[in-house]
Amino acid sequence: MPSLIQQLDNLPKTAAITCAGKHSLLADLMKNAAQIRQQYPQLCQRTIAINYTNLPEFVCALLAFDGWCSGIYLCPPNVSVPQQDIIHWPLKTKNKLTNSNLHTASPRSVQTTWYLATSGTTGEPKWFSHSFLSLTASSKHSHKLQALCWGLLYQPFRFAGLQVVLQALLSGADLVDAADYEPLAQMAVLKLGDVTAVSATPSLWRQLLMTGQLSELALRHITLGGEIADQSVLDNLKRVFPKAKLRHIYASTETGVGLVVSDGLAGFPVKWLEDPSQSVSLKVSKQQHLLVKPPHQICQTLSAQTDTQGYVDTLDSVAVKDDRVLFMGRSTGVINVGGNKVYPEKVEQVILQCPAISQAKVYPKKSPMMGELVVADVTVIDAGDPQSVKQQVLAICKNNLQRFEIPIKIKIVSNIAPDPSGKLNRKQQHD
Amino acid sequence: MTHLEQQIRQAMEQVAELSDCTLVEPIAANTLLLECGLDSLGYAMLVAQLEEDLGFDPFTELEVDIYPSTFAEFLAIYQQCANSH
Repeated sequence: MPSLIQQLDNLPKTAAITCAGKHSLLADLMKNAAQIRQQYPQLCQRTIAINYTNLPEFVCALLAFDGWCSGIYLCPPNVSVPQQDIIHWPLKTKNKLTNSNLHTASPRSVQTTWYLATSGTTGEPKWFSHSFLSLTASSKHSHKLQALCWGLLYQPFRFAGLQVVLQALLSGADLVDAADYEPLAQMAVLKLGDVTAVSATPSLWRQLLMTGQLSELALRHITLGGEIADQSVLDNLKRVFPKAKLRHIYASTETGVGLVVSDGLAGFPVKWLEDPSQSVSLKVSKQQHLLVKPPHQICQTLSAQTDTQGYVDTLDSVAVKDDRVLFMGRSTGVINVGGNKVYPEKVEQVILQCPAISQAKVYPKKSPMMGELVVADVTVIDAGDPQSVKQQVLAICKNNLQRFEIPIKIKIVSNIAPDPSGKLNRKQQHD
Repeated sequence: MTHLEQQIRQAMEQVAELSDCTLVEPIAANTLLLECGLDSLGYAMLVAQLEEDLGFDPFTELEVDIYPSTFAEFLAIYQQCANSH
């Protein structure tokens, strides 16, 4: 498969990236990428960890290293990569390549494996490998798409953000970086950039709706992803932008699968199940989990989740209601707070650091604003002042957890029962 | 100020304290919600807190046609739901 830079070379037109008010022409970034290859031939066929600095530099690195290096890790800030023998980009002066890690490879093109991180239960990220083909399976090119201007609201080193970046690049559309701002500031950046296409989580769309300024944009492409899209947010967006193409995407970083629903209704049509004409084969398991069979090769990490027919258990719970398959949340218990994953076990472990607490159970509460919120049931060792116990728990949580992970409600209960499957409640082991 | 408005303002203060946010002074009818001092997570917490205090959540119960952008609009949605209870 042609590399990213080769594909852009073949486009009739490449576009521009706007970041912090500055425009970078993609044609210039492509030249810079070619220079990087010339300047550092020893990077050829090596594995590179790209540490994010800003969008133009990030895109330049992708252009330089896809099809040139054997692997590229897209590193979120403060995340370590699993391999020792890896070169960090941008190169730091003190880490200049030495003779010992020079590699004299012939400069020929290679199929690059891309690695993206998801956060894991212990705070260590899990890395999932993708081919460029699997990452760009849903990217399309057309004259209409070329005329769009994408607003980037996701971090580009994450799966959802990378999808937006690649879609914009491969369709020759402009891209405006609005990732690291609050909603009102994001609106200002989107308006200034005359953005016509936006992909965001349902929670972020609700915030953009709450600015009261969304209708000032002339959006033609609206994408929702990263969380379950409910009917209310879909209806609101359809009302504000009746002519826009409205799509909600079910995607999993693990399988590299993207399922696009464009009929404006929550979930997806039940007839897609076991329909051989779908690019991704879909099934619902006995446990009511969605199983997917991607057309491309899947990451080896998933072999334990894959059945003999090649279907991967997404661990997403679904319910079939009338003619729709509706997403109900993660069967793993992972809580999705506005697109941020919260692992209940991690929060429980933090709560159990509080000397007054004997058991803790953390679970989601439905929220019309953020999809889900975190709540906790706790049992106490001595029946003292409940308010003081809650304050203690909250203080420990504030010191050890990110804000979206902190339970919004701590309920003191007399007993925490084992889960319905009869499994030993792991919290009891801490007693 | 109605009792409902008082309850909403009190809940906003509670949520602000819980999430280490500072509310702006004063919050007037036309103050933008996103400029009150609470962020999106703060509003989600506020809606959850009010559900507990008032016994209803208009964003789930009513098919909210227009997301509120000012304090007055937020209050009106709660008032509308309170009237139907």
